[in-house]
Amino acid sequence: MVLIITLYFYITKISKVCVGEMVSVKVLLFAIFREKYGIKETELEFDGTLNGFLKALGEKISPKLVEDIYDPESKYIKNNLIVMVNGRNVKDIKGELKFNNGDTVAIFPPVAGG
Amino acid sequence: MPGGYVGKIGVIDLTEGSIRIEETSEILGKKYLGGKGYALALLYEHAKDLEEKGKALSDLNPLGPDNAIVFATGPATGVPGFPSPGRYHVMALRSPLTGSIGSANSGGEWGPFLKFAGFDMLFIKGAADSPVYISVVDGCIEICDASDYWGKNVFDTDDLLKKEVGGKNVSVACIGPAGENLVPMANIVNDKHRAAGRTGLGAVMGSKFLKAIVVSGSESVPVADMEKFREASREALEKERKNSVTAEGLPTYGTAILINVLNNAGALPFKNWQSGYNPEADKISGETLTKNYLVKKRPCWGCNIACGRVSSVKTGPYQILLTEGPEYESIWALGNTTGVMDLEAITKANHLCNEFGLDPISTGSTIAAAMELRQRGLIKDEYLHGMDLSFGNAATLVESIWRIAYKTGFGKYMALGSKRLCEIFGAPELSMSVKGLEMPAYDPRGVKGMGLNYATSNRGGCHVTGYTVSPEILGIPTKIDPLTIEGKAQWVKTFQDFACVVNSTVNCLFTTFALSVADYANLLSAVTGWNLTEEEIMRIGERIYNLERLIMSKFGFTDKDDTLPPRLTSEPMPEGPAKGQVVELEQMKKEYYRLRGWVNGIPTPEKLKELEIEL
Repeated sequence: MVLIITLYFYITKISKVCVGEMVSVKVLLFAIFREKYGIKETELEFDGTLNGFLKALGEKISPKLVEDIYDPESKYIKNNLIVMVNGRNVKDIKGELKFNNGDTVAIFPPVAGG
Repeated sequence: MPGGYVGKIGVIDLTEGSIRIEETSEILGKKYLGGKGYALALLYEHAKDLEEKGKALSDLNPLGPDNAIVFATGPATGVPGFPSPGRYHVMALRSPLTGSIGSANSGGEWGPFLKFAGFDMLFIKGAADSPVYISVVDGCIEICDASDYWGKNVFDTDDLLKKEVGGKNVSVACIGPAGENLVPMANIVNDKHRAAGRTGLGAVMGSKFLKAIVVSGSESVPVADMEKFREASREALEKERKNSVTAEGLPTYGTAILINVLNNAGALPFKNWQSGYNPEADKISGETLTKNYLVKKRPCWGCNIACGRVSSVKTGPYQILLTEGPEYESIWALGNTTGVMDLEAITKANHLCNEFGLDPISTGSTIAAAMELRQRGLIKDEYLHGMDLSFGNAATLVESIWRIAYKTGFGKYMALGSKRLCEIFGAPELSMSVKGLEMPAYDPRGVKGMGLNYATSNRGGCHVTGYTVSPEILGIPTKIDPLTIEGKAQWVKTFQDFACVVNSTVNCLFTTFALSVADYANLLSAVTGWNLTEEEIMRIGERIYNLERLIMSKFGFTDKDDTLPPRLTSEPMPEGPAKGQVVELEQMKKEYYRLRGWVNGIPTPEKLKELEIEL
């Protein structure tokens, strides 16, 4: 048991993954997405790529959520959404979007205030 | 006068008890539109009059009779079909909280109803020697005895004066006990729950013994080119209907939806800005408010967005069966920065702020500053008479509201605002304010453009002066990185100038999530009959911002006042997504002044001449 717990913490602290390895990320849904899919928080396991993330998201929550957030034309997250990985908006992340073990992904619909 | 104006300004001297009705000036309308801009032009003339009488502006007492206050609508206000036209702007020559210009904006119904009563603006100077209210009904202005209302809270005052004055389209803007007691964080509340909240304008009214202004009437606002206006209106409203923020996000969740957004970005100030991330923020989020306490939406007059909330806490110690709000800013100030994670207590505290006439942002922030002073052992037991001034104490939060309004117990210290409170208790750096105005709910260590905006905002620590959160966090109109400083000076300048246009139009800033400068040019041209281009619109905004800065400079404000609390420039964010970040203010400021054409934070004579600001 102690070994399993130690192993768990060891795995969740890894911030680097290699091809073929799986990552585990926490996904948070907000606003209308939370209402529509009845989920606040879940964990996904996938290969660390955006495609892998979307596939796992569709299987775990709903393919409709993937339609809600993914723009097939730009092959990226829809431009009007606020999707953050560890607090950084995916639109501010330079280069290819990759996910690491222990990342938190927050998904918001278009919202504003002031 | 052209369309958009009803053509009259009431000029009231409360010392003399005199009332004069003047024509609204087309020349000033073209230069400054209305609202904030036109009010500033009137206040500038007033300031020059004072100087001609040998009175130094640097000595002007914000709570003395020489201070003046202007209630101003703009060409959009009260025009059906103009997007979100239900607002008005209040300006005072000097704020009792900051010593700078006083400026605040409110929604509800009062603004349009002032126009329906026959007036674009009211300019008020002097001070009465006993409580009065001003009645503005069907083109007539009267100064009336308010002895029976002095001492009453906002809700009672509103009910009683509406009953007394009556008439069609009646609305009351008034002060509560906080304004009467000259609390420098006192606001002006209209329609019971809408407030011109910032910079202590309620205390300016209180200092003039002015309890309320009641408006009523049925005049309509002319439109210069109705055919062109219908087309411009149809296009603009269609854009709002197709925009996911103005059509869905704001109506569904209100402004409080931002709690989780900003927290996830690591920029939601927590416990007097000791951090930008609160692991429990979801307890006080817009989602939680909507799920557990929302009764219905309440739009301002003529607004299609309807972000306003009507809420209810049905049971428990903070029960309040019907109230309005709380909004993003009030939830943050009364909750997140005080560490109170009880949305019911926050809702009650917000209700009490409205009842007593207090700005929830400055009030909550000052309570949070007191909590940090206490945390650091700088407030001794003997000051508190048993009050537990710990972060997260919901009972203390609610109790503090009325203590501040009535300046009783430790409330008499908190009623001074965070700047003076922290100076008295020996830690001025713990006041999270700029120019004495408490900053709102965005930590610029995680949204750097906001750092420059707070520092250079003419009224002090203010978000709506130049809301770069829009591109930096929300991605509107385009996404820019919140953690870099490149290009931020230009964004801040543009947003500050455009906000001046909106606050002089006068309609709601939220329309700008869907509408562009070009849309404003079309709408304003159709309403007024002037042919306004995008360039002219932005030049008007720049002119207003520079005039405001010019007036402030006469109070002694310079670049040295364009600063931030040291926590933001020298204490790296301790945790969360913005961990390790500080605001590189001086680099951004240098570029900003260059773009503004300012030297030492003051517009040069050349810049003033270029903008046709007459000295």
